[in-house]
Amino acid sequence: MSSLWQEFKKGITIENPTFVLVLGLCPTLAVSTSVQNAIGMGAAATFVLLGSNIFISALRNFIPDRIRIPCYIVIIATFVTINEMVMKAYFPVLNHSLGIFVPLIVVNCIVLGRAEAFASKNKVINSIFDALGMGVGFTIALIIIASIREFLGNGTIFGIALLKGFEPITMMVLAPGALFTIGMLIGIINFYHLKKKTHKEIKKVGCNGCK
Amino acid sequence: MDVSKLVMIFISMVFVNNFILSKFLGLCSFIGVSKETGPAVSMGLAVTFVTTMSSIITWFIYRFVLIPFNITYMRTIFFILVIATFVQLVEMFIRKTSPHLYKFFGIYLPLITVNCAVLGVAVLNSQTFFLDRTVVKGSFVLSLTQGFFAGIGYCLAMLLMSGIRERLELVEVPQSFKDVPLAFIIASLMSLSFMGFSGFKF
Amino acid sequence: MGGKNAQREGENMQMLRYGFVLLIICFFASLTLSVTYKITHSRIEAQAINEERDSLAEVFPGATNFKDAVLDSNSYYIAEKDNKEIGYVIRVQTKGYGGLINMLVGFDINGEIKGVKILSHSETPGLGAKINEVRAGEKVPWFLKQFEGKFAKNLELKDTSEGIQAITGATISSNAVVSGIKKEVTEFISRLKL
Repeated sequence: MSSLWQEFKKGITIENPTFVLVLGLCPTLAVSTSVQNAIGMGAAATFVLLGSNIFISALRNFIPDRIRIPCYIVIIATFVTINEMVMKAYFPVLNHSLGIFVPLIVVNCIVLGRAEAFASKNKVINSIFDALGMGVGFTIALIIIASIREFLGNGTIFGIALLKGFEPITMMVLAPGALFTIGMLIGIINFYHLKKKTHKEIKKVGCNGCK
Repeated sequence: MDVSKLVMIFISMVFVNNFILSKFLGLCSFIGVSKETGPAVSMGLAVTFVTTMSSIITWFIYRFVLIPFNITYMRTIFFILVIATFVQLVEMFIRKTSPHLYKFFGIYLPLITVNCAVLGVAVLNSQTFFLDRTVVKGSFVLSLTQGFFAGIGYCLAMLLMSGIRERLELVEVPQSFKDVPLAFIIASLMSLSFMGFSGFKF
Repeated sequence: MGGKNAQREGENMQMLRYGFVLLIICFFASLTLSVTYKITHSRIEAQAINEERDSLAEVFPGATNFKDAVLDSNSYYIAEKDNKEIGYVIRVQTKGYGGLINMLVGFDINGEIKGVKILSHSETPGLGAKINEVRAGEKVPWFLKQFEGKFAKNLELKDTSEGIQAITGATISSNAVVSGIKKEVTEFISRLKL
């Protein structure tokens, strides 16, 4: 039981997909303009992660190694499309805000990365908790970045205005602000690692390392 | 064919809505490969090649398979499989026919399958040039142009970034900000300057 | 000789196995998606239609009914009240600062604007995006409310009560809306009369 909890926890802390593994940056930056979008994307990604992890883990002995990537892609794409259709039907406003990044979840390194690194080698029950942990970790990372950007760039968090008479820094909700925020955050994380001499500084960005 | 539309696409894809600096598509490979100019240019050309070809192929699929059979919801699966297959075939072909070319940009090809930019431009094409399952006139040329210039925009960003990073190798930078964080901050400044292109009217 | 044949046969079996696995997975994927599509697509299409219908009532509050119509291969709506034609609603697309601005404009048979609604835009948040900004306690964006009661052919960006007051720091976005509406509505009216 405790090992399942460990699988779940690691996605949030020591193997956080955004701040440790540095995966799935494209949607992270694009979607973190507001906390509402962040939660929406996090939920969608968690759904896809869960679905694909379950099926890939269940079929791991059935899928031959040589064609595993195309098979994973089909399974992941199926869940991404289901998510897209459900969002269009029941959450059209969120679908419009997330825009092109809803179908792009299929190339989100987190999903393919977990399938390849974990679900294909572990039991279904472990894969479920891994998916949940990664999904929640991703969502939390998105919320942190979105809070900074929405607050500095719009004066609100989750649409609720916090400070009166605060002239927001519009740049923060635009492209440069996203890049700047993630650069500063990674720099601060590296600084923490250097101080604690954990030798875990972020040297590579995700997709290069996950293949 | 309305040439002004094509020019608008050129300006939009390369400058105003640059795939990396404005839309964040293709970021992972961008940060990873842009340390030196040589690999950066190779990667940029490889991406341009893949985006152009996949724009063409996905256009055919959308026009002659997805719309007629009314299965546009299968877009994501079809597109990504086609892109993955195409990239695989091209890589095998280049490896067999020209080891020189392979060394130049073939090794980046597998990386490009998962690159948001490729699937991104294919999905963008299907959204902009096919409205409600009707085909916009001239959509093939428009899709091709958009795919090509999206890749060129990526190239441009890569070239600029690698030039800057090569210079920065000679400068002292705080240890915790070396490499990745600094690359992001540079990108943020580049993105800010590219914002100056918006509002371009034709 | 026999060994080589056996090996080739083994490879062929492998290829068949690969094809078979891929086929099964693709088959179940397609099945799942078709089912999901059947469940959701009527709701998705209803969304789009409802959105448009609600918007029509917003830009032409006096009408009881809207009819689809076509003029020179462009679709538009006829606003009716008690089966009498009292005005029209057209779609206006104009080049804004950050991209295209899509709007719905309702006006009566004399050309007096009844309402403007912005369907989509890519203007800069905090600046051009204020064309769609709704002040606390109000329903209609204040910038768009200025168009109500004015005639399309007289529209201009001016800081008077007859003109349209621009958004500070977003002249281009403001002008795009004004000139777009003025051009499209007057053109539509002249084409309809012909």
